[in-house]
Amino acid sequence: MGVLRLEPTRVHTWATRSVSTVWGLFDWQLALYAGLLAVVGVTMAYTNSGSTPLTPGTTFTRGLMWLAIAIIAFALAASFDYRWLRTFAWPIYLVNLGLLLTSLALGDGVGGVARWVTIFGVQFQFSEIAKILTIIVLANFLASRSNRLSSLSTIVGAGLLILPPLALVLVQPDLGTSLVFGAIFLGTLFIGGASLRWLGVTVAAIAAAVPLAWMYVLKDYQKQRLVSFLDPAADPQGSGYHLIQSQIAVGSGGMFGKGLTNGSQNQLDFLPVQSTDFVFAILSEELGFVGALVVFGLFCALLWRVLLVGWRSQDPFGLVVAAGIASMVVFQLLVNVGMVIGIMPITGIPLPFVTHGGASLISIAVGLGILESINLRQAKPKW
Amino acid sequence: MSTGYLLEDQPTRGRLLPRFLAFAVIVVLVVGALSARLFYLQVSRGGYYGGLAQDNRVLLQPIPSARGLMYDRHGRELVRNVPAFSVRVRPADLPLSKRPHVVSQLSTLLGIPDVEINESLDRGAGSRFDLVRVASDVPPDIARVISETHLDLPGVEVAIEARRDYPQGPLLSQLVGYTGPVAAEDLEELKDQGYLNDDAIGRTGAEAVYEKELRGAYGVEQIERDASGRKIRVLSTVREPRTGNSLELSVDVQAQRNAEKAIRWAMDLAGLKRGVVVVMNPQTGEILAMVSLPTYDNNLFARGISNADFQELVKDPDQPLLNHAISEQYPPGSTYKLVTGTGGLADGYISSDPSNKLLSQPFLTLGTTKFYEWNQRGWGRLNIYDAFGHSSDTYFFQVAGMLGIDRLAHWARQYGFGEPTGIDLPAEARGNVPTNEWKQGVFGEDIFPGETYQAGIGQGYDTATPIQLLNAYAALANGGRLLKPQIVRRILSPEGQVVRDFKPELIRELDVPKDVLRTMREASRRVVTIRHTYNLVDLPIVVAGKSGTAEFGRRDEQGRLPFHSWFAAFVPKSGNPSAADSELAVLAFAFDSRTKGNVATEIVKYYLQLHYELDVDLRNFDLVVRDNFYRGN
Repeated sequence: MGVLRLEPTRVHTWATRSVSTVWGLFDWQLALYAGLLAVVGVTMAYTNSGSTPLTPGTTFTRGLMWLAIAIIAFALAASFDYRWLRTFAWPIYLVNLGLLLTSLALGDGVGGVARWVTIFGVQFQFSEIAKILTIIVLANFLASRSNRLSSLSTIVGAGLLILPPLALVLVQPDLGTSLVFGAIFLGTLFIGGASLRWLGVTVAAIAAAVPLAWMYVLKDYQKQRLVSFLDPAADPQGSGYHLIQSQIAVGSGGMFGKGLTNGSQNQLDFLPVQSTDFVFAILSEELGFVGALVVFGLFCALLWRVLLVGWRSQDPFGLVVAAGIASMVVFQLLVNVGMVIGIMPITGIPLPFVTHGGASLISIAVGLGILESINLRQAKPKW
Repeated sequence: MSTGYLLEDQPTRGRLLPRFLAFAVIVVLVVGALSARLFYLQVSRGGYYGGLAQDNRVLLQPIPSARGLMYDRHGRELVRNVPAFSVRVRPADLPLSKRPHVVSQLSTLLGIPDVEINESLDRGAGSRFDLVRVASDVPPDIARVISETHLDLPGVEVAIEARRDYPQGPLLSQLVGYTGPVAAEDLEELKDQGYLNDDAIGRTGAEAVYEKELRGAYGVEQIERDASGRKIRVLSTVREPRTGNSLELSVDVQAQRNAEKAIRWAMDLAGLKRGVVVVMNPQTGEILAMVSLPTYDNNLFARGISNADFQELVKDPDQPLLNHAISEQYPPGSTYKLVTGTGGLADGYISSDPSNKLLSQPFLTLGTTKFYEWNQRGWGRLNIYDAFGHSSDTYFFQVAGMLGIDRLAHWARQYGFGEPTGIDLPAEARGNVPTNEWKQGVFGEDIFPGETYQAGIGQGYDTATPIQLLNAYAALANGGRLLKPQIVRRILSPEGQVVRDFKPELIRELDVPKDVLRTMREASRRVVTIRHTYNLVDLPIVVAGKSGTAEFGRRDEQGRLPFHSWFAAFVPKSGNPSAADSELAVLAFAFDSRTKGNVATEIVKYYLQLHYELDVDLRNFDLVVRDNFYRGN
């Protein structure tokens, strides 16, 4: 209600700003780093598309299609006044839960997994969109409580907010993505300024719940995947197979890699599902240590720009959105790459931009577009 | 901008700086840790993983060589290589989780029980990357289905390979043998010779003995393969395969057929279970025919024998898988009197002078034991010719007694008894020549005089294989050269060049005066002319030889022993038994014959009729009936 009251002021603000000022506020670096990462993703789609990458239906052509859609989504999100998101925070939350419930109801994954929903013949993973929507809702909640951030009730409130989508993702079952929700929860509260003491208590409580979750929540195959990274050789043809072949792919890439489309682990199918969660292994095989470092550099630069948007934001909402996106990206980078190189369990978390998947790319594009929108709409840019 | 809520948080912003910094530190730590691990994998251990990737990708794969063929002495084909589909599994590419599904699918398609498929998979001795054979000689339509559903059956491969086909089948199984998969327990040793986990090897017969010649040499190619083991392309041929050499057997398929026909006639008529006919050329040692019944079909093995079929063969009391001509030893009976007679003559206890005689009697007494003449009457005084001709036991008891056991053994060994002949077939038995030393070793005492008597007529502790006995008579027939029997005449290269030509292999020149051998040949002819062998003398060819009736086992309720029948014969080329020019020697052996007459003699007679295409038929059907003529000798 109070928001609606402010409406005329915002229209006036927008109108009085000159075009050059607007473009000056657009974070070109953020767009550049994100764009380069997306190029890396499309390049990996190219190398995974066999001998005819340009024919319709290959990973590459689909990747190009998703990239085009993502660019449009980014532009739309950037031009859209992010403050409307606060207005519609609760409806968004309900839509979010609705999408996840739809996934459960209609999902058509393999082996009882309800992660993907097929729309017009295209598989779509709603949980990726849910991450961004949850960040928005969480940001709205924390922004509205910015004067009571240090109280326990804020943490509990945020927890209650994030638990339904987390639980819906977990029962799909998609353990990895539900962990991303956890990372977003902790990251936003930490950067947003929640009480460190209560955050510590929360983390301790979660840690204490892990054994219980291990015994009662996780399915056998999930446990097996989680522990197999500790000793992949125990079942080299089963749960350890991906890990072993993935490390062979990474290691054999060496300093400079085997060259694009020359990775034998990739091209000869020793590393199955190379186009999905293990794509970083192929990147390391074909582009080498140097290529991997370039990608890490791009992620660091992007995270820097994301955090900068948050820091510059006059609005706690913008701060929390930036914190949420940064937490999500860092966590996914750590877990996905860590999985590929054998220091993290297999959880099926995509590497933003690089893993092929429309939902993942579009979500991150929308998230970054919102950040641009926040940047564009700050009264006094500090840097 | 002075809108209200934008100012709400201004006081807190500076307070958050440490948190931003802390987050930045987390990012740096995460990227640093990932980079460090990547550096370790890609730079420090890059070579190691590079090798593993290469191992994944590049496979040295053997190129099988075409196995050599076999022909009979007239160029008739005895073995063919025919294409056949096999289904094999590479365990490394079959995830454990999918195994039950794959096994049950294969079971349905191939009609093999799950259990047997699982056993095959678990038996694989080599690495998990080696193919394990699940089924051989799969019908083409089934093979096609399996290869089409390849994606549903990870690790399963259908291959076209050459399998052996034996056009003559059971007729020559005992000689030709068969190939089969390498036994897991032999693989370790054979691996060094280039054998693969799932490789065929000659298991018995000429296939086994001449394995090295027949196999050729496998080639090697370097291939690139994908994760499911499929060949993507050949990177290079490291070594071309070399086709194996072919064998030209000394065997004549027609002679083999005749021999089998002759023995089957008698066995069917008399209801016999086991029998042997061997035909050889005494001048060269070449085996022209070797029949051991019952036999089996080696094609069963070539196609991958089913467990049921194999059990049936193994459990058959008459042991069809055994070549009774070389792998079993039996008491030689009176045929052994060749040894006793030769010894008596050579050591001077008797002479070839027809007036040199010993008295044959109804029985000899040694202590309290009576040693009976086989007709329990005797023939009065006999020279060596008539004694051999009538096969007088009491005559040869006396000669054996004069020689003594060790001297008797000496002459037996001269003829090749007690040692394998060295024929180019596997699993040859050595027979037994009793001596004092041997009996001391086995029973801790010397041979009794009565046992020497028994040894003199081929009973007691004497045992011999049919091939040994024939070879001894061949040495007699050729004038004293004990030759190694051979079933392979020549080895031919794939291009048809003679790699190894036939040459007779002398075991030893008998240390027996030539006139002694001539005397024994003439005595052998006397066996026929005196009509000990009934109407054999009426054949329009000159045959010499010696029959034998060898008792074994336990007496029946009438006190009669079961017996085997023997007849060893040779055909002097010139028609004069004094000459050592025989080019044909034939031996027949009937196990547990218990016929009215000596069935072996009838078999040899029938064979000779067929061999020389004589238009007489002197077979005595009435002698070849189930009875116990008892001591016809």
